[in-house]
Amino acid sequence: MQRWIVITRVNVTLKLVTSETAVLVSEVCFHRREGFHMNNKTFIQRAKKDLRRNRALYLLVLPVVIFYIVFHYAPMYGAIIAFKDYTPSLGVMKSPWVGLSNFTRFFNSPYFFRLIRNTLLLSIYNLIFGFPAPIILALLLNEVRNTKFKSLTQTITYLPHFISMVVVAGMITNFCMSSGLFNDIIVFFGGERSPLLQNPNLYRLIYVASGIWQEVGWGSIIYLSALSGVDAQLYEAASIDGAGKWKQMIHITLPGISPTIITMLILKMGSLMSLGYEKTILLYNDATLETADIISSYVYRVGLLEQNWSYSTAIGLFNSVINCTLLIITNQLSKKISDTSLW
Amino acid sequence: MLRGITRRDFMKGMAISGAAVGSAGLLAACGSSTSDSGSQESQTQNSSETQASSSEEQTASASEFTYPMDTDVTLTYWCELNNNVSANFASLGDTPFGQQWQEETGVTIEFQHPPANQGSEQFSLLLADGDLPDMMEYAWMSFSGGPEKAIQDGVIYELTDIINAYCPNLKAYLEENPDIDKMVKTDEGHYYCFPFIRGDERLCNTIGLMLRQDWLEELNMEVPTTIDEWHDVLVAFRDEMGAESPFSWEYTMGSLTDANPFAYAYGTCRGFYLGEDGTVHYGPAEEGFKQYLELFNQWYAEKLLDQDLATLALDQVSAKITSGKAGAAIGWAGSRMGTWLNAAIQTNPDYMLVCAPYPTINKGDTPQMGQIDNRYPNQGCVAITTSCKDVEAAARLLDYAYSDAGHMLFNFGIEGESYEMIDDYPTYTDLVMDNPEGWSVAQSLSAYIRGNYNGPFVQDIRYLEQYYTYETQKESAEIWGATNASKYKVPPITPTTDESKEYSTIMSEINTYRDEMSLKFILGDESLDNFDKFVETLYDLGLERALEIQNAALDRYNAR
Repeated sequence: MQRWIVITRVNVTLKLVTSETAVLVSEVCFHRREGFHMNNKTFIQRAKKDLRRNRALYLLVLPVVIFYIVFHYAPMYGAIIAFKDYTPSLGVMKSPWVGLSNFTRFFNSPYFFRLIRNTLLLSIYNLIFGFPAPIILALLLNEVRNTKFKSLTQTITYLPHFISMVVVAGMITNFCMSSGLFNDIIVFFGGERSPLLQNPNLYRLIYVASGIWQEVGWGSIIYLSALSGVDAQLYEAASIDGAGKWKQMIHITLPGISPTIITMLILKMGSLMSLGYEKTILLYNDATLETADIISSYVYRVGLLEQNWSYSTAIGLFNSVINCTLLIITNQLSKKISDTSLW
Repeated sequence: MLRGITRRDFMKGMAISGAAVGSAGLLAACGSSTSDSGSQESQTQNSSETQASSSEEQTASASEFTYPMDTDVTLTYWCELNNNVSANFASLGDTPFGQQWQEETGVTIEFQHPPANQGSEQFSLLLADGDLPDMMEYAWMSFSGGPEKAIQDGVIYELTDIINAYCPNLKAYLEENPDIDKMVKTDEGHYYCFPFIRGDERLCNTIGLMLRQDWLEELNMEVPTTIDEWHDVLVAFRDEMGAESPFSWEYTMGSLTDANPFAYAYGTCRGFYLGEDGTVHYGPAEEGFKQYLELFNQWYAEKLLDQDLATLALDQVSAKITSGKAGAAIGWAGSRMGTWLNAAIQTNPDYMLVCAPYPTINKGDTPQMGQIDNRYPNQGCVAITTSCKDVEAAARLLDYAYSDAGHMLFNFGIEGESYEMIDDYPTYTDLVMDNPEGWSVAQSLSAYIRGNYNGPFVQDIRYLEQYYTYETQKESAEIWGATNASKYKVPPITPTTDESKEYSTIMSEINTYRDEMSLKFILGDESLDNFDKFVETLYDLGLERALEIQNAALDRYNAR
């Protein structure tokens, strides 16, 4: 199921950059560029020479390239069913072409704007609140001098990451019931009992907050490792110059980890619109569809439950195009503003 | 011969898509199913020729045929595993029933089960993949495009020839029951599955209202029959018995919410029904539905309905109804009422539930609409796929269930083990009714029979007579059945292949909108003044066209 969804979404670009192997690829590119600058021969000649010179590197990257071709580029041909009326027995090639009718149907669907709005808003909230959270946690942890307390906190904050989404959703559902834990807390502070998951206005809060709870510890690992790379002498020098903890953080720590932050931000932007359907279909109900229904959950319903493959592929394709565009825009912006970019 | 062709074609498909198979799901999927629809057509033709020729042979040898068959073929059989089976067994093949079925027919079956609650997803993926199991158990009428499309697309075999050749038992049953025969084929007269049939009208009334009898007695109240009486009872449950959510049921479960007795009381329902004029109507677009929503909106505000309505699932409802947090529910007499009684009586010996009739508006009226299944309820029917390795073995295996011996196996299990014949009445033994391992009756029955849920066979009323152990359960069929429900029930109709895509597109959007809005009206998020706008939107979404398609399908059905 997952495999199918991933493939139909054709998130190739996204996959390419999220993987650490991308670093390898870009490194090879870098070497190639160097080679290019050195002479003015034809492309083939240059390529040959480069291939010879960097043989080992090309060999190193070969498995990765094959992986992407086989698992990410080749299946892309399946995306053409977005322009067809796909029937399994006729297969991809023989199913009749229907042009853009699947796209027109989606754009004319009464749910179109709602889906886009919900997907965007949830993503943006995830970005605004979810992105800084691990950075803040990492900065805080970095200031903790008691190693025992530090590692205990780290362990506790990681743990939720390893809980299955189904279990997390079950916990959220039970806690949000009118007799659940959250309502007990609300009543303790003088509030009124109400079924929280039935309230469309609270849905986004619940979704985003539980996401932060689950991922904040895990997400902070990369920043903690970046923090450990900041030169300790800088802090020493700064404190001699009279900089307090706050000044040190602003002028040394943050600039020190800013390349990591920006790389993470770009990666996050690329997946901005690709919210998974799993959590949504576990948490939403008819009462909260208005704020909860997102593109991927809609694709799941029409594609997998109603066997409307072409239509759901068209929506997935549309979603991928937006993702890809966002990624490129962010990258360009970041190149302009901070000189850090993916390519 | 048939076996050879099918196998070879299949291998050819695999070879073509060979490169893709290893790589990625969809690609592989499409590759193998693309392989060639041309050959699939010729294959169908071939197979019917084969059947024709072998049916001649068959008539010659029909008298000689006996079970168990002499074959070494292993057939694959795909079905969802019922909850009561999966509680104790990983596969239907591990159950005494599954083993006995294979032993009596002589066919080895390899069962394949999707993960719980992922039936339709997995079905969808199997189809896209193209390499199907030999037999698939599914609600085939719900196949996207209808069963006729499944035949035309070459997913499953058209069964007429196969039934004539290999299935004397099913054939005899259908000949004896022309009304059933009409239900189990397409408008074109094609058979597509080995059907699940409710062998008795009383098996068709399965869902209704139930409430706490001991509370009623304590409050000195009668079983409510009208909406006003229901209101009084629920208020008393709330105020005097301390029920937090007096009326609670699995709102998220379609089959229960579809059968909402209070919507029926206003002469409407959540889906399609057959109107007095003999045409198909869509309940939510009618005035009665507004009255029903008003009632539920009021009850919700008065905290008579469960406040967590939209998120209720079985475990929560069970906890509430057995612990006294809820006092009334909608449910099945067996899997709900029976289970709750068993659980609650252990801690509270006075605990008792009673079935309430379908409510009416005026005292003394006979309820008109109510829940009723068709005798052919579109569940658990088995089709033979075009990937089938040995059609004859599959057909004979499935036909066995409609023979006398098979009927006993599917409904009562193994003689001497799960049942004994006492005065010509198949009586379940204590192994089933009072299982030594402590399984519930539903679970131990599920190990030995399929009669307590569904499958490709004719269900026997005698199973139900014993399955209901409490007096109050036994009354259910009579109390809930006292309506004119069958008059309003839409028979199993299907849109034509051409219309079905349009129909399902329209209805999926209409139903999503209906579910969302109904809940908002009930919860009070949306004012009922907007009901007319709601109906207008239903028509904007294409309700008129959907009704047109439904009514045309009804005409074709009546003309069958």
